[in-house]
Amino acid sequence: MGVVQLQFSKTQKVRLHKAKESLSSKMNSDSLVTVADSIHVNHEDGVLKGHGTADLDGQVVATLCGTVERVNKLIYVRGLGSRYKPEVGDIVIGRVIEVDQKFWRLDINCNRNAYLMLSAMNMPDGVQRRRTALDELNMRGIFEEADLICAEVRGLSHDDIHLHARSKKYGKIYAVLQLSTGQMVMVSPYLVKRQKQHFHHLEEHGIDLIIGCNGLIWVGEHVKVKDEMEYQVNLTEPAHKKEEKNDTRREYICRAANAIRLLSTLGFSITLEVIKGVVDLSQSLNLEIHDMLGSEFCVLVAEKEAERRSSNKRKQ
Amino acid sequence: MLHNKSFVKKTKGGKVMKQVREHYLRDDIYCGAPSCTVCDSSGARLSSSASTILVVDTNVVLNQIDLLENSAIDDVVVLSIVLEEVKNKNMSVYNRLRAICSNSNRKFFVFSNEYHRDTYVKEMSGETKNDRNDRAIRVATQWYQKHLGGAVKVLLVTNDKENKRKASEEGICAETVESYVKSLDRPDLLDLLVRPSSEDAEMADVEDHRPSKRKVIYSEHKPMSEITSGLHRGIYHQGKLRVNRYNPFEAYVGSESIGDEIIIYGRSNMNRAFDGDIVAVELLPEDQWQGEKSLSIVGEEDEDEDEDVHLAPNSADDAPRTTPQQGSTGVINAGSSRPSGRIVGIIKRNWHSYCGSLEPMPMPGGSRGVAYALFVSKDRRFPKIRIQTRQLENLLDKRIMVSVDSWDRQSRYPSGHYVRTIGDIGDRDTESEVVLIENDINSRPFSAQVLACLPPLPWSVSSEDLSIPFRQDLRHLRVFSVDPPGCKDIDDALHCYALPNGNFEVGVHIADVTNFVFPGTPLDDEASQRGTSVYLVERRIDMLPKPLTEDVCSLRSDVERLAFSVIWVPSADYWEFIFSKKISTLAFCIWVHTHRFALALFMYVQEMTPEADIISTRYTKSVIKSAAALSYVEAQARMDDSRLMDPVTTDLRNMNSLAKKMRLRRIERGALTLASAEVKFQIDTETHDPLDIGMYQIREANQMVEEFMLAANVSVAQQILKSFPLCSLLRRHPTPTKEMLEPLLRVSAAIGLNLDVSSSKALADSLDLAVGGDPYFNKLIRILATRCMSQAVYFCSGDLSPPEYHHYGLATPLYTHFTSPIRRYADVIVHRLLAASIGISKLPSVFQDRLQLTSIADNLNYRHRNAQMAGRASVELHTLIYFRKRPTDTEARIVKIRSNGFFVFVPKYGIEGPVYLTTRAEKGSGEWYVDEQEQKIKKMDGSFSYSILQTVQIHMEVVEPQPNRPKLQLTLI
Amino acid sequence: MEYVSPEGLRLDGRRPMEMRQIRAEIGAVSKADGSAVFEMGNTKVIAAVYGPREVQNRSQQLSDKALVRCEYNMANFSTGDRMRKPKGDRRSTEISLVIRQTLEECILTHLMPRSQIDIYVQVLQADGGTRSACINAATLALADAGIPMRDLVTSCSAGYLNSTPLLDLNYVEDSAGGPDVTVGILPKLDKVTLLQMDSKLPIDILENVIQLATEGCKAIANYIREILLENTKELEYRRGS
Repeated sequence: MGVVQLQFSKTQKVRLHKAKESLSSKMNSDSLVTVADSIHVNHEDGVLKGHGTADLDGQVVATLCGTVERVNKLIYVRGLGSRYKPEVGDIVIGRVIEVDQKFWRLDINCNRNAYLMLSAMNMPDGVQRRRTALDELNMRGIFEEADLICAEVRGLSHDDIHLHARSKKYGKIYAVLQLSTGQMVMVSPYLVKRQKQHFHHLEEHGIDLIIGCNGLIWVGEHVKVKDEMEYQVNLTEPAHKKEEKNDTRREYICRAANAIRLLSTLGFSITLEVIKGVVDLSQSLNLEIHDMLGSEFCVLVAEKEAERRSSNKRKQ
Repeated sequence: MLHNKSFVKKTKGGKVMKQVREHYLRDDIYCGAPSCTVCDSSGARLSSSASTILVVDTNVVLNQIDLLENSAIDDVVVLSIVLEEVKNKNMSVYNRLRAICSNSNRKFFVFSNEYHRDTYVKEMSGETKNDRNDRAIRVATQWYQKHLGGAVKVLLVTNDKENKRKASEEGICAETVESYVKSLDRPDLLDLLVRPSSEDAEMADVEDHRPSKRKVIYSEHKPMSEITSGLHRGIYHQGKLRVNRYNPFEAYVGSESIGDEIIIYGRSNMNRAFDGDIVAVELLPEDQWQGEKSLSIVGEEDEDEDEDVHLAPNSADDAPRTTPQQGSTGVINAGSSRPSGRIVGIIKRNWHSYCGSLEPMPMPGGSRGVAYALFVSKDRRFPKIRIQTRQLENLLDKRIMVSVDSWDRQSRYPSGHYVRTIGDIGDRDTESEVVLIENDINSRPFSAQVLACLPPLPWSVSSEDLSIPFRQDLRHLRVFSVDPPGCKDIDDALHCYALPNGNFEVGVHIADVTNFVFPGTPLDDEASQRGTSVYLVERRIDMLPKPLTEDVCSLRSDVERLAFSVIWVPSADYWEFIFSKKISTLAFCIWVHTHRFALALFMYVQEMTPEADIISTRYTKSVIKSAAALSYVEAQARMDDSRLMDPVTTDLRNMNSLAKKMRLRRIERGALTLASAEVKFQIDTETHDPLDIGMYQIREANQMVEEFMLAANVSVAQQILKSFPLCSLLRRHPTPTKEMLEPLLRVSAAIGLNLDVSSSKALADSLDLAVGGDPYFNKLIRILATRCMSQAVYFCSGDLSPPEYHHYGLATPLYTHFTSPIRRYADVIVHRLLAASIGISKLPSVFQDRLQLTSIADNLNYRHRNAQMAGRASVELHTLIYFRKRPTDTEARIVKIRSNGFFVFVPKYGIEGPVYLTTRAEKGSGEWYVDEQEQKIKKMDGSFSYSILQTVQIHMEVVEPQPNRPKLQLTLI
Repeated sequence: MEYVSPEGLRLDGRRPMEMRQIRAEIGAVSKADGSAVFEMGNTKVIAAVYGPREVQNRSQQLSDKALVRCEYNMANFSTGDRMRKPKGDRRSTEISLVIRQTLEECILTHLMPRSQIDIYVQVLQADGGTRSACINAATLALADAGIPMRDLVTSCSAGYLNSTPLLDLNYVEDSAGGPDVTVGILPKLDKVTLLQMDSKLPIDILENVIQLATEGCKAIANYIREILLENTKELEYRRGS
């Protein structure tokens, strides 16, 4: 994802280049490989060849472009730019493709579609019980096609990916037929690192930020988790009272979404702090929301990021 | 190193298309001066001490190529842009320029200025292509000057005033060709210069004593656009103009759009076109279509050109063109004459250099000054050419070469310039040289590269040659050759071996030329270009260098030589042999077991058609040792001498009897026995002057050898066609059309002979029956028949469909040339094909490319024809020399009747020429009239008549109506 | 027609053994999983890879490996004359097949069973050697999409005109009707995956021509590898550790 579409002036180019320089100066390129590069290994220690490697006449050869990672005897190549590789426990956001007899089929930006079994789903009434035929008939009442769903990877059997949504955190985040306020941004999965927390509730802004491990990121109005364990968009408050608050909230959502887009084009890894930082920067500069995608801000963010990383490094 | 520059251009064609081409500019193009320190001088061509380097522009090359070819001009830089422009304008000049550039003796260097980073120029807006190219030339010149520094003067040679002015403004030395040549102080070079057209006016002043000069003589040529649209609409017809070799005022344009030939009569209708030009023709209204003009021997215009005595033609291609006469059949009347037309434009000129001499003229007063002279080409198809010269006194009695430059409407003759002198008129060597030049025959010695391809000399068969598995050792066979006396390039030998079963094994051994001439080598290229050896009366121009021709390849006696052998076991009596043994079925089996060899033969026979004579054919490369190199006379003498019983003689007799059977069989199939009037000279060994002249005698021995060669050629043709149906080189002889046989039929009808021409068989039979009152009658008829046929030609089998492969004269469906690889390139090709077909070598790459193969075949036909023409011209020349001192009375036969005389054929000397009954002055006085029906010319009062084939007594004498123009004159006694 | 002048220069100023200028760029189609533009002189090709993803047509699903599909298309504006070509004509079907077979050979399809990889190649400018350019662009796009591959595949053409082997024919040379040999190799494994030829060529010259084309492939492979490494570096640096 190069920074392609933007038009830079000469000075901006110089600055961007400088920022890039400073970013790259902190890295060593020894562990980078491209397809068909051989990876140097010490065979005497014994080698386990992991993802992204292959054997060619006793040589270990990369089959992907990326970074060579070594964990004890295991050698694998962490690829860049490929599709999402699910791991158990990952929090993902997916879109319903198909409603079947007992499961929903979800597109989670992966090799294959994922399954969300009806049985792996907390029922709307919150009661743990056997799913009846009636429940199966009512599945469309829970999730419909094109709904966005947040779920966790439960397991991988054969090549099938199974999800579950057995927590009040999970569930529908966007329904086609219901209005809800928020934006969905898609980034390359490699930019999202697995972290302790993928659900963020920015209380001061009243905003939810869900960073799916599969590169789908949701920024939207905060949804109260009701006691009935049902997720519903908060529409109960009187509109006139909330009007002003909604405006600032919506603005923040847009800023956050644009921040993510910008980070994605710049190819920086995406975490809550970075997003917040970018949004704060834009607010402090009193930038219009659409200017956030302009070239000047892009350069600024790059410089900021370079600065941030170098200071982090120094701290260490 | 690469610089990318794309540019856009519009192209021709109906559509306007945008084309983008990459153009890489480089910095590794060198200047070609050995003294240059910056450039890589390994490819340098200019001389190291050059004080002046010339840069020529396009028009200089186009107009002054003769000057550039002169070795006095050197150290020339030819820019690639100039080459490109020349190529677009005139391909033949381009080829000549390329030849100079590649000649290692000349210091011409090609500089690819278009691809050099510093000399490439971009077209500026509003600049025409010409201006841009001129600028490119100037930029390159300037670059040269800067690059080489002050030590060398870089001179731009241009005749374009504008270009010259701009060049001087830019600080480039520029001169016109004239001033440059003048500065060289070589007056002979000045003659080579083409006058720019601006001097035409001056020329007219000099010649204003000719009143016709200012008159517009020819109609204007139509502009190209009009011609193109006219061709589209079918008003005009495009074709190549071919001028009648024997009547320069009559020409033909073969037009595809009409599907017939258009006749063009007279200079004004020909409208300045030359033989070989591609022209646009407009048909004349039908009432102006002219009837038979060729009835008269002489041309229509009052010029002193008339028929010469020449050799009797051998085929329709050589013979004077005759058109079918409407009166001949007596049914159709004058309405249906052939389309006549006039030339409205010339699409492509075919001007080149012509051989000839200056028309005698008095010396102008100031002998050192510039004189104008008329040049007469030796080849009568070309008009006189006006040239300007400073050395008139030197040129008057010389054979010279002249190039044509222009021909404008006001002048009767084209103007040209002198190229070079060949030698004195009438000198035998000079005239031979002229013959060679006229027929485009390369008689230069072989180049060093070509000679480098020869095997180390002296050459002999080495053990390596013998150890090659496919080369069979046939040295034990009694092989011998039969050739004309004094033949040094012996390319065929024979053996004949009686098998115990009564059969004969016959082998034809052909010199293995391809063992020495490898495809793609300079030697091969040269041979391919020459195409054939040329036999003149007093010398031979070899296709291959002398060591190969006379020694390494020649199958001389008592030396071991490599050969390509075709071995047959022919047997007409094979079945008789088997059944004469009266073997029962059982016994037969046992017999077969004990004769396993015979079994193989037997099975082969079953697979062959019953009329086939040859049981098995084997092709192999071999080593042979010839036991005897006989001449035809010797061989004949041996066969005839019944006392001789030595092995070679026995073999000869056996072979002769076989050959007779084969010949009979061939004639049964319908092969024609044709005749030609070949003559033979006895040449004085000292002076090379002809001592005696006579018809070539054909003996049985000749026929015997010929028969086996024919058989070998046919066998090989079958073999190669089987293996390579698409890329074999074959020889075909097209069946003559009714039209072509018309003259023969007319003659035969007049003398009451009934000839059946429906097939070659029928013709052969009726020719056999044509026995007249005298012994020579049959031969004369045969000669006339031969003359009606076109020549056999080489072709690539992929270009035609199998029925067209037919060889009419030999009555065989397939034929090729295999037996004379030393003197014919076609045979070399066939050798390679045969070797590939029997799997002993790979097929060279040329055979993959049918276009190339076709062009080779075309070239071979062209060369073959030229070689024949040259041979005939040489004979004519020697005939003239012979009769110069010997006025002779002899017997002749009338072969053609014309309104004012007839053509006679002199059997003894093989020549043909006109005999006039009326003198030129009383032309058309009508004292004589022609009876078409009976082919007779009668005196009005009926007192005298001459009919065709009648024997007359004539007197032959060399006369010189004009100085230096000897010709043979025939008069009736 | 003279395609190589006696001075040893081709019509566009190259020498017989020289390739045209090549240029590659990764990531030209933002929506695709991987994409690349590849230029060989004036030939310009864009390739986009989608997948591996769920097989669209279940009946085509392969249980042991990924389904690779390829679609080649030549833009109407890619040649001098704007001809409207029907989609799926013989030529593009054939080239699609050629590209698919060549690339399928190097993709480790067994790692992605029951999924599908779509490769779309579009010729933006055609100036000879589109087949080779398409394969090169597709390789880059596949590598960009992070699809595991045995090796890179690179392709280059060579011809034989005026008795000279010529590397990387442009349109004018291509339309001369002479032999045109397209070679595709796996540079690391040193194997040939594609060998096509139009017209005829003697066997001993064929070897030379193939050799020349292979050299060209190797040069392209080096360039592609450089581009990929550059791109990987860039992504990795930006992402930060």
